[in-house]
Formats: sequence, C-alpha cells, structure tokens
Amino acid sequence: MAESILRRWNQELTIAGAIVLLLLPLIGIQPKTYLTLTIAGIAMGMLLFLVASGVSIIFGLMDVLNFAHGALFAWGAYVGFTVFKYLMKWVVADSVLQNLAVFFIAIVAAMVAVALLGVVLERVIVRRVYGNHLFQILITFGATIVLVELIRVFWGPNDETMTVPLTFAGNWDIMDVIVYRYRVICIVIGAMVYAVLQLILKKTKLGTIVRAGVEDRDMVQAMGHNIYLLFTGVFAVGAGLAALGGLAMSIFSLQVYPDMGGTYLLFAFIVVIIGGLGSVTGSLVGALIVGLTYNYVAYLVPWAAAGVNILIMIIILLIRPTGLFAAGK
Amino acid sequence: MAGPTPVQIFHEEEKKRQYRSGTFFLKVGLLLLFLLVPVLFPAFKTIDLAMQIVLFAVLVASFDILLGYTGILSFGHGMFFGIGAYCVAFLIGKYGMPSYTNLALGFLIAAIVSAALALLISFLTLRVKTIFFAMITLAIAELAIILATKLTGFTGGEDGISLNTPGIFAVSFNMGDFMGLEITGRVFTYYFILFSCIALFLIMLRFTRSPLGRVLQAIRDNVQRAEALGYNTFLYQSISITFGCIMAALIGGLYAMWVGYVNPESSLGVLTIMLDVLLMVIIGGMGTLYGGIIGAAFLKITQTFLPDLQHLAMDLFPHAQLLHNVLERWLLLFGILFILVVIFFPKGVIGSVNEYLLQRKMAKPTISPSSFTPTPPGNRP
Repeated sequence: MAESILRRWNQELTIAGAIVLLLLPLIGIQPKTYLTLTIAGIAMGMLLFLVASGVSIIFGLMDVLNFAHGALFAWGAYVGFTVFKYLMKWVVADSVLQNLAVFFIAIVAAMVAVALLGVVLERVIVRRVYGNHLFQILITFGATIVLVELIRVFWGPNDETMTVPLTFAGNWDIMDVIVYRYRVICIVIGAMVYAVLQLILKKTKLGTIVRAGVEDRDMVQAMGHNIYLLFTGVFAVGAGLAALGGLAMSIFSLQVYPDMGGTYLLFAFIVVIIGGLGSVTGSLVGALIVGLTYNYVAYLVPWAAAGVNILIMIIILLIRPTGLFAAGK
Repeated sequence: MAGPTPVQIFHEEEKKRQYRSGTFFLKVGLLLLFLLVPVLFPAFKTIDLAMQIVLFAVLVASFDILLGYTGILSFGHGMFFGIGAYCVAFLIGKYGMPSYTNLALGFLIAAIVSAALALLISFLTLRVKTIFFAMITLAIAELAIILATKLTGFTGGEDGISLNTPGIFAVSFNMGDFMGLEITGRVFTYYFILFSCIALFLIMLRFTRSPLGRVLQAIRDNVQRAEALGYNTFLYQSISITFGCIMAALIGGLYAMWVGYVNPESSLGVLTIMLDVLLMVIIGGMGTLYGGIIGAAFLKITQTFLPDLQHLAMDLFPHAQLLHNVLERWLLLFGILFILVVIFFPKGVIGSVNEYLLQRKMAKPTISPSSFTPTPPGNRP
C-alpha cells in the first residue's frame, strides 16, 4: 500500500522533499538574509552550471573526462580581463549601453578565443587518446599545467583585480532584501544558456545527433555522420561554456588568478557526480544544490563550507551511484 | 630419486642467468651507490638529493601499484603520503615525546588511517566507474589540504609542525668520526630510511609478482574477462588500492623523519607532490616499479640544477624576454615534457628499454616465458 503510494506520487514527493530541504535553513537564518543567501546560492549555482555542463556534455558524448576544463575556465576569465582592460573607459562609464557593450564584447571574445583553444586541444592532444580513460586524464592534466603556466607567462603570476561594469555593480534594496545586481545577471545568463542548450539538444537535428551519439556512438557513425567533427564541435562548445563561466565567475569574485580553474573544476566534478555525467538538466540541478548548500552552510557554519559539498556527493554516491539524472549509457 | 623435470631445469637456469644479467649488476651498482653516498659525498646537499630520490622512487613505485598494475589513477596519493607524514609528526612532534615507541606508533597509526580511508574511497567509487576514483580523490585531497590549513589548533595550520627524531636519529646525535665519516644522527637516519625504503620496495615487488598481482594485471588489461574468469574485481582492486595507499603513508612518515617538518603545502599538495609523482611514473614507465627510480632521479636532479640552467640560458640570451618568462616557469617545460612522453613514449624509459630487449631476444631462438613485459596501458583496447 505505502509502496504503491510512493510510486504513484514519486515526482510530487521528490519536489516536496526538495522544497522542504530548501526551506530547512530558515530554522537558523533570518528570512531576509535567507532570501539574499538564496539568490547568491542560485547565482553561484548558475555559474557552476556553466562549467559543469561543459564537462558533462563532453563526457556524455565523447567519453572523455576533461581535466583541462578548469584551465579553459581560467583562460576565459583572462581573455575577458584583457578586453576589460583595453576598454576600461566603457567599463567605468556611467552608461548602460556602453557597459552592456563591453560585457558582450568580453563574453564573445572569451568564448571564441577559448573555443578555438578547445579545438586545438582536441585535435592535437585529446584525439590521440580516445577510448583510454587513464591516458585522457593524464594528458588533459598535462594540458592543464601547460595552459595555466602559459597564463603566468602571458599575464604574469599575480592575482589581478577584475572591474565590475558600473551598471552591474551595487545592489537593489527590494523591501529590505538586498539583491546584488550582478547576481541577478548571473542567474539570467545561466537560465539563458540552459534554455539554449535544451533547445539545441531537443529541437534541432544537430542536437538529435549529439543525443544519439551519447546513447550509441557507433550507430551514429554507421548512419553516416562524421562523429569526429561532432566531437571537435562539442569540445569547442564545452570550452566556450567554460570560458563564459570563467568570465562570469571572475566578475562575481572580483579577481582573476592563474590557478582559479582548479577550485572550480572541483566544484564542477562534484556537480556532475551529483547530477549524473552526461545530463544537462542533471548539471543544472546538481549545480543549484551545490551553490545553495555552499552559501547556507558558509553563513551558518563557515568552517564546514568546504566539506559539505563533498559530503553531499558521498551521500548521493551511496544512494544513487550514477547521479540524480544519469544519461544514456 | 627422479631427475628434475624440464620445468625445474628451466627455472634453475633462469635463476642462474638472473645473477649474470646486466640488469642484476645494474641493480647492485645502484644499491652500492646509494649506500656509499654519505661516505663519498658528505655534503648535505648531495645526501639530501640522494634521500629525496630514494623516497620518491619508492613513492612512485607505490603509486605505480595503483596506476600501472591496477589501472586506477588516484590524485589522492599525495594525500596519503601527507597523512603518513602528519601521523608521524603528531606522534613525535606535537602530541608526544620523540621516542622509538612513539615513532613506531606513528607509522602504525598512519597505516591504519590510510587503510581505512583508502577502503572507504574505493568502496564509494569503484562501484560506479574507475574514473570516478580520479575525480573523487582529487576532491578529497583538496579537502584534506583545506582541513590541514584551517584546523590550526590540530594540525598547526600553514606553519606546519616541526618534529625532533628520537635517539640515534636526532640531529644533535654525534658518535664521532669513523673512517673519515662523521657518524651523526643524519647518517643514521639516512641508512634507516634507505633500508626501510628498500624493504618497502621489495615488499611491493613481491606483491606485484604474487598470484594476487597477476590477477590485478589481468583486471587492468581486461575487466570483463577477469570477471568472467570468476575474479571479484572490486575486491582485488580495493586490496591493491589499500596496499598502495598504506605504502604511501609509510613513505610519508619516513619523509617527515628526514625533513623534520610537515606543512600542508609540502606534504599534502596536489600540485607539488602529485605532479612530481605523475611525471616520475610517466617518465620512468608505468607498470614497471623500477621506472620510479629513473623518473625520480631524473626529476629531482633536474629540479636541483634547474636554477643553474636558467642562469646559463639567461646569460646566453640576455635580451629574449619571452624566453626568460618561459624559463622562469619551469613547470611549463615539465608540462610539455609530460604531454610529449604520454603521447610518444607511453611506456616510459623502462618500458621502452624492455621492449627493445624483448625484440632483440625475439631475434634469438632462446626465449624465456618469464621475460614478461606488462602491456603498456596505451595499447589496451
């Protein structure tokens, strides 16, 4: 009896449980602070989603675990930083239009540059080790070292301060709840990327081929599609997403530094393990879980913030070893 | 009494040949070299270099048990090394007096803690995919660094812990001259660590050549087939991981004894220790155990003399600013070397030499079944 109810109301129960868990921190936090923290958590989650989705799609389609994703993330941040530096007049101008323009130029520059870097990486290095996980990890780890050291060669080894475009700085005060403007922008960017990814994957022919590739690579090849071209394309898109994530995160945290990729790559790994490797929706849910818990716990018990996500990951691994939304294979 | 069977004769011949082969003399020579280092080169810098090579060679061998013999990549090996170092440092540095009992206890606790943690991680990850092991060990290793840095009261934080070694290992211990060599605590520590390392290395060699080690190689080369033959792959992989991690912890303890100091950066660091170990195992050759010696010697010697090379290059080309920037970032050069070795020499030095020797042997009619070269992971399907 109880079992059948559980099965029939499975989805509703899951959602209800999620809401209860989401509201749980209210016990220890003032409602207004809670709202601020929630927005911060969602914003962080959206940024993590940008990184994690790239890792996830690349793994889902190509069966490649890309340890160099963090380095691509840092490259994105540094390219954006350079654009900001050259167009500093527009960044600090008191004009919405100029601020938006420089933001978009930075995003496009970072994504294009890093996507090209991704193509080179895939063609020169990753292609040689398809089908061998051990060597993929080793070689992309080597690529990480090279890319991070190249950042140090080109931009210097020190931390640099990132300037927030003037319009995005500061906060709104909505009924005593403090909402930082840039966090809202992060949420919008994340939601847009999720929507675009879902549209491409679900509604276009290309997306169908990619999803079919996740399910059965050989069959897609037998149907006459050039899977290697597809691989390069997906790797470039993943790299571009990493760059977008890196740029957005560097504005969020107001700094760029050569090793920044490492920290966020770890977050991305935790996210994809929680969400399930290969699933875009899984990455989003996992990223939101990680972002929200990190912010709540960092407020309540600061010293535990670093460990709580790993704890969640371990719990998920115990009850659902393949993650919440396991894809295809 | 029946005469020996052909197989026995073959093994006897094999044994005799073993003591006449070039590699045997090479091993003996290497051992003598390390034994004589404090006598021939009493300068601290050389002894330290030799000790670092020995310690890292054995650490790389323990990492090789995971990577080369089990096919599992762990980014947490540095963490286990650090756990060992910290356990010994706690027992004889922070929470106890430097005594032999405490020292032994430190190693024991290091082994127990690392075994428990290794079992836990392998239980969590091996059920899913072996590549999860790389991701999760990386996460947990980072967590360990954060904990070691943040829990200042317990671990000493960024400052780390200084420790004094007991009795004859103490820095202040001095027995006077013996045949021109000053017998100090350093010398005793050197020989203690050297012999411990040789013992650990022999244990690992025995481990890989035991029936268990053969099963592990079978699992590494073809999981499905090993499972079909009835081997519990999960169990075997867990045993191997635990064994390798215990070894790493013990070596970490020895390292703490030698350096006399532990801190998160130097003992736990993913980028400091793991990177070195990965480079060493790749350069030396995966799945060979001996490769670690070559890898460790190459990397440690290069790192020691790199500053001189940099100065030389800068004096030769005083105006090439980009070259200076690149040279200052020696990690960049190592990273490129790492990628090139992975692509072009996936078997490393020892693996490539073994292959060459095997080819030469193949040309001759006498081929022995025991001249086994492990299949390099690169050629696996």
